[in-house]
Amino acid sequence: MTAAAGTTSGRRSPLGAGLWPVLPAVIFLLLFFLLPLAENGLQSLYVTGSDGKAAFSLAYYVHLFSDAYYLGVIGKTIWVSLLATVICILIGYPVAYFMVRHAGRWNGAMIFLLVAPLLTSIIMRTFGWNVILARNGVLNNVLQGLGLIERPLRLLQDPSAVIIGLVHVLVPFMVISIAAVLKGIDTRLEEAAELLGASRWRTFREITLPLSLDGIATGAIVVFMLANGSFLTMLLLGGGSVVTLPLLIYQQFLLVQNLGFAAAMGNVLLVLAVISLFIQLRLIRQDGAVA
Amino acid sequence: MSAAGQWRRIERRLPALLLLAFVLVFFAFLLAPIAFVVLVSFADSEIVAFPVTAYSLRWYHRLLEYRPLLDSLWFSLKLAGASAVLAALFGVPAALALARSRSGLADLVSTFLLAPLSIPMILLGIALLYKLSAIGLGISFTSLLIAHTVVSIPYVVRTVVAVYRGIGRNYEEAAAILGASRRQIFTYVTLPLIGSGIFSGMLFAVLISLDNLSLSLFFGSAQTNTLPVVMLSYLQNQFDPAIAAIGTVQMAIALVALLLIERTVGLRFMSSPS
Repeated sequence: MTAAAGTTSGRRSPLGAGLWPVLPAVIFLLLFFLLPLAENGLQSLYVTGSDGKAAFSLAYYVHLFSDAYYLGVIGKTIWVSLLATVICILIGYPVAYFMVRHAGRWNGAMIFLLVAPLLTSIIMRTFGWNVILARNGVLNNVLQGLGLIERPLRLLQDPSAVIIGLVHVLVPFMVISIAAVLKGIDTRLEEAAELLGASRWRTFREITLPLSLDGIATGAIVVFMLANGSFLTMLLLGGGSVVTLPLLIYQQFLLVQNLGFAAAMGNVLLVLAVISLFIQLRLIRQDGAVA
Repeated sequence: MSAAGQWRRIERRLPALLLLAFVLVFFAFLLAPIAFVVLVSFADSEIVAFPVTAYSLRWYHRLLEYRPLLDSLWFSLKLAGASAVLAALFGVPAALALARSRSGLADLVSTFLLAPLSIPMILLGIALLYKLSAIGLGISFTSLLIAHTVVSIPYVVRTVVAVYRGIGRNYEEAAAILGASRRQIFTYVTLPLIGSGIFSGMLFAVLISLDNLSLSLFFGSAQTNTLPVVMLSYLQNQFDPAIAAIGTVQMAIALVALLLIERTVGLRFMSSPS
């Protein structure tokens, strides 16, 4: 603990002296984060044969990438995440823009309203969509009351319910990421463009939007990764209509207890996450270079 | 000229008004599911149905009768509290060292300490189940504690780094110039200054742990069922407002915690990715 205060004297060697207080945390995560993930990677490469002995084999991966069903699941995982990401950008950008440029003293309240849903149980939020989209739910009641439909619509157990649920859970991350970057944009650049005769739309398109691409990218990666890893929304709102990798892992674990195959699917998911993380790190490095 | 000016004014305001309408619809979308769950939790009916005609507290009484829900909430709170304390013990010293270091190694270390946030939780769950079973911990409170601590450390590190960087060196340097020892500086200057950061980092960790299904799922048993695991299995067997009631209770806990964070360090730093 005293060494932590010691670093305040301002003498830091480039070799990272004074960093020893990070050791307990690093060791803990090496043991219970990195090591398990690495062993899990190995585990998926050993298949237990009929003689009960585990032998090195790519069988799980061959199975994953040759079976049309599993290829479809992998494709669907990426597709659903991408779709949710794009919708989050389209919905989140105007909200972030309003928050930074127009909200004024309401900014704090908006952040509170954005963060509060993140801290309610995800099961509760998904249950909420059940209440709204169910056959005798809120939406069908309202639509019938207005005379717009005669019979209740089937809204649940449908891919669109999954997308609605995902966007609802993930859009706050997008808004927060975009708002953080928008806040840093020098508004004098926009004023200059308008003074030079650019329309508001053109100013937005040629000044504000390009400058805020970083925020969109950060938000997109966060949303994509989180969507990639979620299964609860698919489980509770999709009713089997949308099967993605995490949902399949959940089912493999609970019903089939085939942990090796579940581990292999988890590793495919990990590859997607690492690619996203790599892109994110490159973006941060670029930011650092500019700043 | 004045007509043109007026047109220009309307033209200038119209986008802002449309934007305002959009934002209002957005927040309605964001809050509607939560609002309806709260409403349903007070419904006096056997099934989840709309419109709610009569209100009562019967589903909250049901929580008292059907023990698994409240028991698991209590279990989850203990687990969340313990993992937050552990995460603080690991995370705070690391964060203090990282916040004042600019070496390349520090960048690498902080990326590593934040990495658990970027890994699909369900994969981490499987991997940890393997590992912890192999070393004889298996399905136990200790296993859950380890798993939850792994994902709590990033929250503590991120919050404390942000708060400690925001403070700057002046106070500590002033204390050093006035002759305080390192230990004194840490106890009387640094710790009080970052106390709020530690507190909110731990609260975030608690809230994240309370809602963590993907990790807890793999370590569920009659003795080690966390709230989300019990809620999920309840929801798959019956669809009644008891889930709404326990969800509302959990949300009330989270809201109080969030208000505490707002009062201590504010939510603003949340909007800057570290």
